[in-house]
Amino acid sequence: MNPIATPTTTTQSDAFIEMRDVSKHFGDFLAVDQLSMTVRRGEIVALLGRTGAGKSTVMSLSMGTIAPDQGTVRVGGADPSREFDALRGKMAVAFQTDRLLPWRTAVENAELGLLILNHSKSQAREAALHWLARVKLEGAEHKYVHELSGGMRQRVSLARALAVDPELIFLDEVFSQLDHVTSQVLRRDFSRIVREVGKTCVFVTHRIEDALDIADRIYVLDAPARVCLALSVSEQTRRDPRALADLHDQIAQAIGGDTESAGHDPNYSENQDLS
Amino acid sequence: MSQPARTASSVTPSRLGARAAARPAARPGRRRDLTALCVVSVLLILAMEVASRFVPPFIMPSPLVVGQAVLELLTSDWHHVSVTLLRLAAAVGFSMLLGVLIGLLMGTSRRLGPYLNSLVIIDTGIPALSWMLVAVFWFKDPEARIFFILTVILLPFYALNVYEGVRSMPKEWVDMMESFRPSRWQLMRYLVIPHIVQYVFMTTKSVIGYAIRMVIFAELVASAVGIGSRMSLAQSTFRIDYVLAWTFLLVVLNLVLQSLLNLVERHVLKWRAEAKVR
Repeated sequence: MNPIATPTTTTQSDAFIEMRDVSKHFGDFLAVDQLSMTVRRGEIVALLGRTGAGKSTVMSLSMGTIAPDQGTVRVGGADPSREFDALRGKMAVAFQTDRLLPWRTAVENAELGLLILNHSKSQAREAALHWLARVKLEGAEHKYVHELSGGMRQRVSLARALAVDPELIFLDEVFSQLDHVTSQVLRRDFSRIVREVGKTCVFVTHRIEDALDIADRIYVLDAPARVCLALSVSEQTRRDPRALADLHDQIAQAIGGDTESAGHDPNYSENQDLS
Repeated sequence: MSQPARTASSVTPSRLGARAAARPAARPGRRRDLTALCVVSVLLILAMEVASRFVPPFIMPSPLVVGQAVLELLTSDWHHVSVTLLRLAAAVGFSMLLGVLIGLLMGTSRRLGPYLNSLVIIDTGIPALSWMLVAVFWFKDPEARIFFILTVILLPFYALNVYEGVRSMPKEWVDMMESFRPSRWQLMRYLVIPHIVQYVFMTTKSVIGYAIRMVIFAELVASAVGIGSRMSLAQSTFRIDYVLAWTFLLVVLNLVLQSLLNLVERHVLKWRAEAKVR
């Protein structure tokens, strides 16, 4: 582990996601190297790293859409790839691109997960409308995808994920394709909602400010994916610009970024981008 | 594909605004198409009129004579028109159903897909005339002959286009669906089938004119009822005015069917934002 890391401790019992010495190859390419990490119930954890660091592969391993070559992955006590259906309804994902189905309106997209989970049409519609309102999309429920802006589409995508009432939510670079202001508003809205409903959330990002803004803990990943820095971010730290700038600096150093511009200044750049 | 319940609250000002904004953009295009169609039709009629003054009537009758023949046919030969339309509807409907099913299997079944793909590719290489001649040997009943001929000719268009539709489906959508752990049927119902609807429309619009030509051709060789058989009769009795009148009616039939298809397509695929290229 990097000497500047602030170690975080997690007991076995409260771990919702647990990865132990996980490795994954794609042909000769090593994407994940002996990765170990845990995510506790109810916390928001950021997987931060440069583009190509294997963050999305780690997410796919947690989702069970790919299996590890070595090591163990447990999510809610189950092996997500071998016991694929055991996690049905327990997890949801919002992706970098909204992945909305264009022939469905906003509300029809938001209710999709619930219909797949065999909820009745009326129940699904009611929940979808509720979550669209929570993500501030009242009045746009019956618009088709091409009638929505990029930010609105991502809100529908978040409503679709939240509507299934999952125990675990994955966000894969959800905020990275939006402009800075929209991204900031959206991630704060999302963070507020997730904390209100007490969900566990893993979000993948390459932007330091995204991670510092909403995560309880941050795993900084090296390439191939392995934890090079793990640190906690408290609400108190978030309110202190100097402490935030120090964390920003640590993260940038761990990844090998430009520390001059990354963190010495208390008014560090909000747009520090690692890609 | 489920449609939203249209409640009063769903019709927001912005929605009304979007509808109002869409209208002026859509109308000029359609009006231009209609104007072009009228201009080309008038030019063709004028060309016929000019030609009819220089050649004998059995080579090119005047448009007036052809018009009279059209009125005559419309009053006396409705039975033949309806038989042809029924044959067309039955064959296109069946080819669509079977072709979509085969295309879906080609795109989704690892075991059956390659075999069905080979079968369809072989079918596309067999000339329509071969199927017509073979049908005469294989089927005694004229209806069965025509149905068979049209089906084997139209089916590959649907199968191949639906197969392409399945293949062109963004992987991102599949991954999104898989994150909810759907059953195979749910994957088909919520993703694959709605996605291929546009390909079915595209295929139907492409083949309808071809299907009309094929049904006429099949009736010509395999039946004593229908527009094709009446055209054959007109040719054998040297009634070129009737041949041209039937031709005119077939062109109108094609235009009407295309317009109906466009109308249905606009309603069913209203979610699609149509790009306008400068």
